[in-house]
Amino acid sequence: MLLQCASGFGAVALAGLASSPAFGNILEGGDELGRADHGPHHEVRAKNVIFLYMDGGPSQIDTFDPKPMLDKYNGKDPSRLFEVEPTQFNNNGNVLASPWKFQQHGESGIPVSSLFPNVAECVDELAVIRSMVSEFPEHTFANYFLHTGSGLQGRPSMGAWVNYGLGSECQNLPGFVVLNGGLIPPGGLDCFGSGFLPASYQGSVFKPSGSGVANIERTESTSDQQRSKLDLIDRLDQLVIDQYGYHDSLESAIKNYELAYAMQMAVPEVMSLSDEPEHLQRMYGMESEYEPTRIYAAQCLIARRMVEKGVRFIELTCPNVGGDRWDQHGKLKQGHENNARAVDQPIAALLKDLRQRGMLDETLVVWAGEFGRTPFAQGKDGRDHNPFGFSVWMAGGGVRPGSIYGATDDWGYKAIENRAEIHDLHATMLHLMGVDHTRSTFRFGGRDMRLTDVKGHVIHDVIA
Amino acid sequence: MHSVWTRIVCLLCCVSTGLLALQALRADDQEFAPTELEFFEKKIRPILAEHCYSCHSAEAKKIQASLLVDSRAALIAGGDSGEAITPGDPDSSLLIEAVKYESYEMPPKGKLSSEDIQALEDWVRMGAPWPQEEAPTADAVQPKFDLESRRSEHWVWQPIHAPEIPKVDRESWPNNSIDHFILSRLEDADLQPAGDANRSALIRRLYFDLIGLPPTPEEVAAFVNDKSPQAVEDLVDQLLASPHFGERWGRHWLDLVRYAESRGHEFDNDAPNAFQYRDYIIRALNSDIPHDQLIREHIAGDLLPNPRLNPDKGFNESILGTGFWFLGEWVHSPVDIRKDESDRFDNMIDVMSKAFLGMTVSCARCHDHKFDAISTADYYSLSGFLESSDYRQVRFESIEHNRIVAEKLAQLDADYQEKIENELRTRNLAKPTSKPVDSSLQHLVVLDYGNVSSSEFMQDGFIYGARPKRAGEFYWSDEGGELSLRMCTEDAAISDPIWNELESVWEKGVHNKSRLVTFPRSGRTLRTPTFAVTDGNVACRVRGEGHVVACVDSHRLIAGPLHGVTIAKIKPGSEWTHLNLQRYVGHRIHLEFTPSEGKQLQVSLVTRGATPEQRQELGRRFSDQLTAEQVAAVESFLDEDVSDLIANWKTEREHLQSQIMTRSQLAMAMMDGTGEDGRILIRGNSSKPGDQVPRHFLTAVNGGEVMEIPIGSGRLELAEKINAADNPLTARVAVNRIWHFLMGRGIVPTTDDFGVLGERPTHPELLDHLAVKFVNDGRSIKKLIREIVLSRVYQLDCVPVAESLRADPKNQMWHFRPPKRLEGEVIRDAILSISGRLDPTLYGEPVPVHLTPFMDGRGRPKNSGPLDGDGRRSIYVAVRRNFLSPFMLTFDTPAPFSTMGRRNVSNVPAQSLILMNDPFVVEQSKLWAQRAIEENDSMDSRLDWLYQTAFSRSSNAREREVAMEFLTASNSSGGDVMSEQTAWEDFAHALMNTKEFIFLR
Repeated sequence: MLLQCASGFGAVALAGLASSPAFGNILEGGDELGRADHGPHHEVRAKNVIFLYMDGGPSQIDTFDPKPMLDKYNGKDPSRLFEVEPTQFNNNGNVLASPWKFQQHGESGIPVSSLFPNVAECVDELAVIRSMVSEFPEHTFANYFLHTGSGLQGRPSMGAWVNYGLGSECQNLPGFVVLNGGLIPPGGLDCFGSGFLPASYQGSVFKPSGSGVANIERTESTSDQQRSKLDLIDRLDQLVIDQYGYHDSLESAIKNYELAYAMQMAVPEVMSLSDEPEHLQRMYGMESEYEPTRIYAAQCLIARRMVEKGVRFIELTCPNVGGDRWDQHGKLKQGHENNARAVDQPIAALLKDLRQRGMLDETLVVWAGEFGRTPFAQGKDGRDHNPFGFSVWMAGGGVRPGSIYGATDDWGYKAIENRAEIHDLHATMLHLMGVDHTRSTFRFGGRDMRLTDVKGHVIHDVIA
Repeated sequence: MHSVWTRIVCLLCCVSTGLLALQALRADDQEFAPTELEFFEKKIRPILAEHCYSCHSAEAKKIQASLLVDSRAALIAGGDSGEAITPGDPDSSLLIEAVKYESYEMPPKGKLSSEDIQALEDWVRMGAPWPQEEAPTADAVQPKFDLESRRSEHWVWQPIHAPEIPKVDRESWPNNSIDHFILSRLEDADLQPAGDANRSALIRRLYFDLIGLPPTPEEVAAFVNDKSPQAVEDLVDQLLASPHFGERWGRHWLDLVRYAESRGHEFDNDAPNAFQYRDYIIRALNSDIPHDQLIREHIAGDLLPNPRLNPDKGFNESILGTGFWFLGEWVHSPVDIRKDESDRFDNMIDVMSKAFLGMTVSCARCHDHKFDAISTADYYSLSGFLESSDYRQVRFESIEHNRIVAEKLAQLDADYQEKIENELRTRNLAKPTSKPVDSSLQHLVVLDYGNVSSSEFMQDGFIYGARPKRAGEFYWSDEGGELSLRMCTEDAAISDPIWNELESVWEKGVHNKSRLVTFPRSGRTLRTPTFAVTDGNVACRVRGEGHVVACVDSHRLIAGPLHGVTIAKIKPGSEWTHLNLQRYVGHRIHLEFTPSEGKQLQVSLVTRGATPEQRQELGRRFSDQLTAEQVAAVESFLDEDVSDLIANWKTEREHLQSQIMTRSQLAMAMMDGTGEDGRILIRGNSSKPGDQVPRHFLTAVNGGEVMEIPIGSGRLELAEKINAADNPLTARVAVNRIWHFLMGRGIVPTTDDFGVLGERPTHPELLDHLAVKFVNDGRSIKKLIREIVLSRVYQLDCVPVAESLRADPKNQMWHFRPPKRLEGEVIRDAILSISGRLDPTLYGEPVPVHLTPFMDGRGRPKNSGPLDGDGRRSIYVAVRRNFLSPFMLTFDTPAPFSTMGRRNVSNVPAQSLILMNDPFVVEQSKLWAQRAIEENDSMDSRLDWLYQTAFSRSSNAREREVAMEFLTASNSSGGDVMSEQTAWEDFAHALMNTKEFIFLR
């Protein structure tokens, strides 16, 4: 009745850690029917994922999906031009042309707006999906959906699924880390939960500074004192254990203390950016005059270091740029500029750094918001939520570099060609990691649950 | 958008059904022209093959939506959503709609080119030419859902029979009948059971299993030294009688009902007064309320003719049970409000059916259940019960008391009404009379309080009296400051100022952005019957001051940006209050009228689609009935002729008023609305309603028998079906849960799923034996617990006999008792208990959860709770969906989203990190060490006291040796008093980190 669980420190405190069969993290009472057909099921293209979560919904038509028709019809009533769906704020204005200029970049010639001058330099690494759709026009539903494949609270996050399916390659760090730049997305920590999966798969929330994560600092004044306490615990345990008879659960619980101790050592090490050469720190933006850039730079750099240590899934949340996340219901220009400024340089540096170290081929970088924005204004100078067509991109990890997949209509409003659903994105991410999304299941409440619910198709066209 | 589409789709279905008959006739002998057939072969078949066949043909791996498009007949027959084509009429053809992305969006991967769409339209217009050919036979056609055969093939649907108690060879072994079932299996397999647990292990087991707290050293000593044969029984009885029993078992119950005190989603708003439900369940379990009564109260506690009253305070306990329906996630400002309802209902059905029936009924939301004998119709028949019911914050403390006052008041008012009318009559004075609405305007009137049946007259509370007033009747008003008797000029539901002092007590709460909590509504709200918004222009003829709320699709978390229009202020002096419900055309709603504090409301009419002129016309119905002289005559009659009578009436009313219980706490509860059946939502899609299904209980249990529901929601009738003796599910599920909580694994290990995908019972006869016994014992939970813990199998040692372990390593036959890791709540409570910090206070508002810097996000409470939770047991620490305690999560306390009758038991280093480094644990271990030092003088006695408090046993020689070594080594390093204390603190902390502390033998 052993169920190999992988790792995970846990949502808010450290919750778990890598397991190897020797240590056997145990799920008691787990029914065998509920055991997943664990991966990898086929060739592994990406060992790790860095998920750059663009909280709030960046505008596709202002970033990666240029639409000249918007310039032409700027200021016109959209309902005379196309069918307008209900919106979150029900305060629809006129067609709003992008305030930013697009230019083609790289050999691939993929157009990128002037919001992302640095990412534009890496455009030949990107596989841009322009035909993403979501099922929800509200943040929280859409966040849960993007993270867990369900619009409602309580399902396991993709980082949890990945670790459940593949286990962790790292003994001393959790397999699913959330590097919190400052903005936990609407829906809260449940975006990173383990749902019905064991608690050990929860995302561990790290801050990109200080001790990193809760309960990782010893409370004893010296490390000798802690060591002698740990030795005492072990000796006392050994004296009792035979009164219980042999039980795997007790053995693992005893061994967990050594693992925990190793984690205590490993976390400060991975967080210590002073090891990084100065030019690299500068490249990431650690010396930027804009604080949110410095924060995101640290997140990106730590993410790379965690990949090096074998952390399976790392999600970065956005730093707070003062106004709002990418959720510009008003003041689009200022808000998107600040958000882009925070992430552009660090993301580009991350891609270049990973490439230069030869890590990008095995690291999947995903850039996505929970939905896009309307091609018409909300009020005068904002854009409302748009789940009907938006852009995301992936890089590294086996994706087809310098490619564009799918298309929205002339207005950049609705995906009309090669519509890609969130389930498809998940299926594709899992596929690149060597996991067949239809086989990685967990039985709960009478169903074999999966990240992709009953849906999802691998988008083979974005795979190299 | 959806609502519009729904109507169009429905309309199309109706139209096409009509046409279909004609077309089908023609199709049979129709010969298509060769050019038409060529067009089909060249243009159409390739489109269908390339874009549609992968999901909609005989060769599809899986046929979607039951639709095939590989033959003409199949297209005409259609799929789940009806006919796909109407030959000759592309505008009525769903296929054309779908490829145009007008309703369905097909193919899903991307819209067809406009030439292809045009070709398909042309083809349908031609009459859908298709050559004479055999329709492909579908290998993949899904086997038809056969409920009856599934019912007859699966064990759990079969009736419960009391099995015979098996004979055993070792007759001295069994303590009770349970052991016969266990031992006979062991003997059959020739396995030896383990020995008995020793006394110290047993008392610890019993304490933790029954009350979730460790015994004190004194309690251990008393038990270990009690040589009487009754000792165990006495201890069990004492623990079952402890008020802490309800806390321990209440937490189990809360796992079943996804208990939380906030709504989650974006802002984690309060679920106000949820803790009242938690306290209710603790009290109910402590009082051993029979399980069927608990179910009755959960399903329909608001409808019981004789609700259970709290023995001390007299308040309505039963109604609190219905709070469980509303413990789920709630969202604000959904764009698709109907989908919000169907998601909420889904969660409610899911929780109800798993918790009480062990059935995953929700799996039948989109299609008939894949494995179990549950149809989609069964699922939507249950949603009808919810559609017919409402949420409210009930004044549970005062409701029963005030019900009696209200009845007396109604009688009093009726008596005086009659007396005064008699006087009026003898004087032959004219008064206005009720008049029906003019027939030419009748179609605009949704509701006329001059013409409602008693079942349509619904209110939360009593302020609108026993029935609406008719024109010419008298009512009391204090408008203008002074209480006086007035004559109704038109029919209306009128609130009575006698209830003006009502005061409702809310919990303090954290934050709640809902606009509906900004004015006091509990016990003061008139609810209209449910009606359809066929026109968004809804107006209410209502006078006075207050609010009207349009409750759309039972959505109640009104917190912008959308849906603010569902709330309108009723302004003094205005005759009509207007609601612009354009957005909700096609939805079903009801209205709720609440007067402002100290104000009066008179609600007469609700109209739909009436122009201002028509409304004016409607308002004139009663005016001009009396001349100015006639009015003056009535006034002088009241002032002079019957002034004594009125004075007496007033005095008697004042007397009754003094009996009103004005102050009451609130709790979430249900209330009946208009009884309505639900509609099947095709593929679970709330914008695609299908057939209506009459409310009924699971077909597999009741053969699809339609329930007789005389009035209202029918939940009381539903509760009786769930409890019925011939329902094979409820009792089995209940006893299995109790077994699971005590033994660590259910007889059916999958406690929430007794269906085909669930596991089979390891001891089916024992399960039925317990179920029968449970029912015969009046479904007493305590009696069953007592029976199980007094069995020998419960009391076995955790060290198995080696040979038995080899033969049955998974312990399927229960030859030993595996160690159990304590739950997070129990670990924390045990820590508090031994440190001396435990505050054993029962009940009350939640203690705010302690927030670490890592617990971030929208809706974060402004203030963190205390690190030690004020020493209160874990069940009283706030459960905020988006800010769950990291300690609890790490030890597998479930995130509250669905029924979790069997928690995960994970075993990970983060648990070690918490016990090692969490400031709470460290702080408490220090307190514990201080107690050891203060309460004991010698090293030995301190050591012994620590062992006794932590493990209910003495330390052995080896342990003392190790301890002394540690303590003296630590001592010698520093040498002063502080370091002695530190050494004890470190030692105590180490003991909390040993496995014995969290694993129960």
